[in-house]
Amino acid sequence: MRTKKIAATVAVAAVATLGFAAPASAISASTADLYVLHAVPDTTVDVWVNGEVLLPDFAPGTLTDPLDLPAGDYEVVITLPNDPITSPVIGPATLPLAAGNSYTAVAHLDASGAPTATLFTNDLSTIPAGQGKLTVRHTAAAPAVDILANGAAAFSNLTNPNEVKADLPVGTISAAVAATGTTDPVIGPADVTIQEGVNTIVYAWGSLEDDNLALAVQTISGLHSTPDGVNSGQAGLVADPNPALVGSIAAAIALVLLAAVGLGVRAARSAR
Amino acid sequence: MAKVTMVVVTIAAALLLAACTATASAPEATPEPTPSAPREGAVDAHSAELVPVVPIAEPTLIEIPSAGISMVVRAVGVQADGLMELPEETAVAGWYRFGPAPGSESGTTVLASHVDSLEYGIGPFAALRNLVAGSEITVTDSSGTLHRYGVTSVSSVQKQQLPVADLFDRVGPRRLVLITCGGQFDYSTLSYSDNIVVIAEPLP
Repeated sequence: MRTKKIAATVAVAAVATLGFAAPASAISASTADLYVLHAVPDTTVDVWVNGEVLLPDFAPGTLTDPLDLPAGDYEVVITLPNDPITSPVIGPATLPLAAGNSYTAVAHLDASGAPTATLFTNDLSTIPAGQGKLTVRHTAAAPAVDILANGAAAFSNLTNPNEVKADLPVGTISAAVAATGTTDPVIGPADVTIQEGVNTIVYAWGSLEDDNLALAVQTISGLHSTPDGVNSGQAGLVADPNPALVGSIAAAIALVLLAAVGLGVRAARSAR
Repeated sequence: MAKVTMVVVTIAAALLLAACTATASAPEATPEPTPSAPREGAVDAHSAELVPVVPIAEPTLIEIPSAGISMVVRAVGVQADGLMELPEETAVAGWYRFGPAPGSESGTTVLASHVDSLEYGIGPFAALRNLVAGSEITVTDSSGTLHRYGVTSVSSVQKQQLPVADLFDRVGPRRLVLITCGGQFDYSTLSYSDNIVVIAEPLP
């Protein structure tokens, strides 16, 4: 009885530790952000972290808010709903979370269609003003693909479970996914908005064979930079007086006056 | 290593909790979790489906009655050299379109305009330096909404010292910042020494 009660209390403490959700900017010197994405089609699951169900009845195509977690190793197991942790569908897998980083743990299919999990590190680097970042991750049961932007191949030969990324000017691109070397879309085209200072992460997920390929999207904002300054005048029409300039103008006027006086004196003399 | 630490911490917390429960007496009365109860997650989650990004209403008009200012507002970005882009016309104010708009939930809406130009002469923003605390500013956006602000400060800042991270803030309270030029003029670089910065906060 006593053992059971302590076990239950440990569970409460563990959930309390893990269950503290916070905004993306909450990463501190000792914590990491973890998002969890479910990208295995058709199968609702339970996600266990360190022996406790963190995400019960987690549905395909669902993304969590970021969890602000103390840095360290976390053990993840994915089971069918209400199944014991001893009957995993995926895992156990160890997620090494380093302080100051942002991660997305994705439950997905590998290229041949078997369930797996991948821990991606999200790029939090500052983006130049006027641009956004596009990250594309291949988490689908499909061979290598090209990512088409506005009809042309923007990224080539992306394979599961890898990513490609680039900073792009803000705007909307028509994005599609096609088998490498082709331009006939297997996903899309779909409009993807590149937002300023935002890392837009697009996942290709599902299964080519089962005809359920789809896109999932995650955005991480707050990565913007600012203009370097504001240069908002060109003519000096409303400038304050410049003391140095006033001094030199005064000196110039004095010189002119002196010269004039000198000339005047000379003129007066020569007139005599 | 960190995992071990965490386990130790949680066990310590558990023992602490157990101790507390014990001193509170009647530990046996703690109810067992009901297996049939609906299960709730400790974490919020949402659909990761691709949804269109809804653009925010852009500011279109700024009026400052006490300074006789009524100016059209145009969306601008950044120049290749990293400085904020500005409308050439001194009678038009530029809105930094990558930052917040008046209708945004947070952050600073930045409007800036040339104080003067050889082609367009002296602009309305030349009057900003004469604003006083409490002066009212209204900004109308493309949805027709009128946003009212009261001036809280007017300052002259050396351009190199302009606190851009603060003025172009996106997460703090809603604010309006107006920027133009002032101070002395350098005829060799054709630029002013200072920025005139007006900070205004939303009025109820």
